[in-house]
Amino acid sequence: MTAGPRTGGAGLAAGYAGPGPARGRDGRPRVGLVIGSGGVKCAAAIGLWKVLAREGIAVDAAVGCSGGSVYAAAIALGFDVGESERRTLVMWRDLFTRLHYRSLLRALMPRLFGFDEGVGLIDDRRVRLVLRELFGDATFADARVPLFIAATDVATGEKVTITEGRLADAVRASIALPLLLRPWPVGGRLLVDGGASNPLPVDVAIREGCDAILAMGFENHPHGPVRSFAGAVGRTTTIVQNHLLRATFAFYNIAHHAEVVPVIPTLGRSIGLTDVHEIPALIEAGARAMEEQLPYLRRLLAATAT
Amino acid sequence: MDTSSVARDPSLPHAPRATRGRVALVIGSGSVKCAAALGAYRALQREGIDVDMVVGCSAGSLFASVMALGYDPETCARMASGLWTKDLTSQPDRRALLRAAFPRLFGFDAHWGLRNDARIMRRMEETYGDRTFADARIPLFITATDFHTGEQVVLRSGRLVDAIRASIAIPFAFRPHEVDGRLLIDGFMSDPLPVGVAIREGANVIVAIGFESPYQSRVTSAGRFAFQLSSIMTNNLLKASFAFHGLAHHSEVIAVIPRFEQRIRLFDTAKMPYIIDEGERAMTEQVPYLRRLLAAVPAA
Repeated sequence: MTAGPRTGGAGLAAGYAGPGPARGRDGRPRVGLVIGSGGVKCAAAIGLWKVLAREGIAVDAAVGCSGGSVYAAAIALGFDVGESERRTLVMWRDLFTRLHYRSLLRALMPRLFGFDEGVGLIDDRRVRLVLRELFGDATFADARVPLFIAATDVATGEKVTITEGRLADAVRASIALPLLLRPWPVGGRLLVDGGASNPLPVDVAIREGCDAILAMGFENHPHGPVRSFAGAVGRTTTIVQNHLLRATFAFYNIAHHAEVVPVIPTLGRSIGLTDVHEIPALIEAGARAMEEQLPYLRRLLAATAT
Repeated sequence: MDTSSVARDPSLPHAPRATRGRVALVIGSGSVKCAAALGAYRALQREGIDVDMVVGCSAGSLFASVMALGYDPETCARMASGLWTKDLTSQPDRRALLRAAFPRLFGFDAHWGLRNDARIMRRMEETYGDRTFADARIPLFITATDFHTGEQVVLRSGRLVDAIRASIAIPFAFRPHEVDGRLLIDGFMSDPLPVGVAIREGANVIVAIGFESPYQSRVTSAGRFAFQLSSIMTNNLLKASFAFHGLAHHSEVIAVIPRFEQRIRLFDTAKMPYIIDEGERAMTEQVPYLRRLLAAVPAA
């Protein structure tokens, strides 16, 4: 993988230094990869990554949101795609199955046990263990290409782009599914899932000055009858997030003309957080979606090459 | 200008005017803050600027409807403050909590809400009776969201009571409402400020009155956390959707965002006169720009 120029500024979005040069070091067009929020569906990024590796197309900037941040970070660190695929097949297992009983009590009896933003109903020890195994103490400075991880400020609702510090912390903040995983502090701010503000953060790659932007996004398909309160909460969140995805994507697309290439894997069925047995099919679907866009991407790269 | 409260006459057609299809008033979700739209309406009437279509979302649909029926702003305000009082939602639906706690035993389905909606339905029946969209003197559109597919739904026919009830079906608070065989919830979940409806209906100049949802100063319960999350997502949706529509429709979308110094709670109907004044002030500031736009747009 070719190392692109480092242009990311220090700190959170406020410290960002502005768009980078529009060309890679060798004069070729810059390719940005954006992997959006989608829980276990983000494993489809492995399929996309395999196709890019086979075709020798280098990524010059990686942006990840929520589950997508795991793969954006792996690509930016220069991990081996085969090894990442092997890890993906096991790491999602049992990730969200243990309840955090103290949080449950605090949610049910807030006055007695005290409720605050720090509550998460899932015991996140295994999540943190997986992130430590994946990224160790690596920081954004270890990334070979500029890396950006999207999260949301839980107090102000603003979208936040993390560009420095430990990757394990940035990813943990980006995947903090509201109410399930407790919010995570980064740079003095309490952050939750990036999907709550910007599920497919194409804007970050636009600001980075990429010539072609591969945008892998995931819609959630509401399905089946709602039979519980949790189901009703899930349905309402899904509906708003789908509209947020479409509205932000429509805006970024119109603002950036035609150089955003949507890579949308389709499986034709609904996939939840615990459907880890679907991972091989997801990787296949991700590869297929990328294959379909290859001719267009090639034309774009040819048109923008100097 | 006829400003009597009985200005509406069902025998009148939709009053096609020379400027038809030019100015749309879009009132976004924002609970009692939506009353600011009445102030904006007052400013437009004072300036002699006709409104050619009204779009309402969530609580905005309550105000959009009274305007479209042809009442003057003062009557609209009187009707709205009579409709919207604290006792509206004070009746909990006792079975709802049992259903949430024991879904198998008591049966939980999509028709679930914490609050009993009998009183709000009765109050709306008193205000709007059996009036339909066909009774509106200004073309009226009310937005809701399909609970099963998540798509935005634009209501343009049938009883106003049903359309408004669907549009204000706040998740968890009120049950979704069925209209024409579709189960509908609050319009703010698909677009809190549905400017796109006015664009599709051919408006040249769009006055959009929108409100961000308030954030919690302290998150002290799971319910408040869910509320905070809802505000975060819908505020980001409001910004993204408005940015897109503003860009897609060039510069003819005028945002009217009232600034409230006072904190306004869900049932602060006593503050309605203040809210209306702030809406009028915000609209008045935009009138010169609106006039320039109208001068530039050729008549339809």
